Amino acid sequence: MRYVIPLIFLLVILYAVKKRVRVYPAFTRGVKSAVDFTLGLLPLIVCVFIMCEIFEASHLSDKISAMLSPLFGLLGIPPQLAKLALIKPFSGSGSLSMLGSVIKTYGADSYIARCACVMYGSSETVFYISAVYFSKCANKKRLLPVAIILLSSLISAAVACLLCRIM
Amino acid sequence: MNVIFTIITALSALIMCVFEPSAFLPALLGGARKGVECCLTLFCIYAVWMGLSQVAEESGLTKRVAAMLSPACTRFFRTGDSEAVGAISMNISCNLLGIGGAATPFAVKAIGRLEGEKNEYAQNLLFIINATSIQLIPTTVIALRAAEGSAAAHDITLPSLIATAISTGLAVAVYIFCEKIKHRRAKKCAM
Repeated sequence: MRYVIPLIFLLVILYAVKKRVRVYPAFTRGVKSAVDFTLGLLPLIVCVFIMCEIFEASHLSDKISAMLSPLFGLLGIPPQLAKLALIKPFSGSGSLSMLGSVIKTYGADSYIARCACVMYGSSETVFYISAVYFSKCANKKRLLPVAIILLSSLISAAVACLLCRIM
Repeated sequence: MNVIFTIITALSALIMCVFEPSAFLPALLGGARKGVECCLTLFCIYAVWMGLSQVAEESGLTKRVAAMLSPACTRFFRTGDSEAVGAISMNISCNLLGIGGAATPFAVKAIGRLEGEKNEYAQNLLFIINATSIQLIPTTVIALRAAEGSAAAHDITLPSLIATAISTGLAVAVYIFCEKIKHRRAKKCAM
């Protein structure tokens, strides 16, 4: 897998040379559009991070995950992972550090840690993605897709725990 | 997002006001700092990949990739916009290769193009596919497990693949089903 990215670069550059495209100016134009793009995202991302931070700091996330853990238990998700399942839709770095601490606490090859890994790998930071993706859309109310994604992430977390038990 | 932001911020403020008012402002500032740091990290990723994708675009490589995938994309996303189809195909290719950072700019570009033809269906579908994570090999997690001394860091690849396939498949199926119901209801109302 580690060869893929260098090969992609090589391929694109060779193709561009063959088609007589000036690589450096084109690349610079791409970076220029990355500047505009990132600056457009900055306010959205800062707001999402502020929300996540006080969500954690107020221990509201702990309370909600304590409330939800019986439900998670019913689906076969270990209660130690309820918080991970809750934080993942909000914060990528938060859930990654939580995953790190789960692996450290229970050992990399334990059932809990493997569950956590599969759960982490099979879902995404939904709220952040929705803020970024729909930043330029007139209609920002996308309740149906967000609800569907949260539901299917929950189901995939349950499946992840089940798979870890048998595989 | 507006509702979620308002509720979570207000509730958290209320709780912190009662229990630990002095920690409130540091938390807000810390969040903002993390947001800026995240943007900086993202900018580095976007700079590399958008630079490369500009080269690919100007040389016509993007169009060739899109042409291969366009029949399937056109049907699935119900769009006739060739630039949108190109961006969608690049987005999905990047996701499958596990370079998620490169996928985002393509997705935003595709969604912008689809906004032009008011194709909310395709926008939502693309959002769902990206937000349920389609990845062949979970590189970050494998690296993390290997670093913590796992005996078989790769053994979560297959369960991850199955779990993510189920979540993406399910979400897409449910969304298409909901859209069909909406469509049918609209038809009934018209009659």
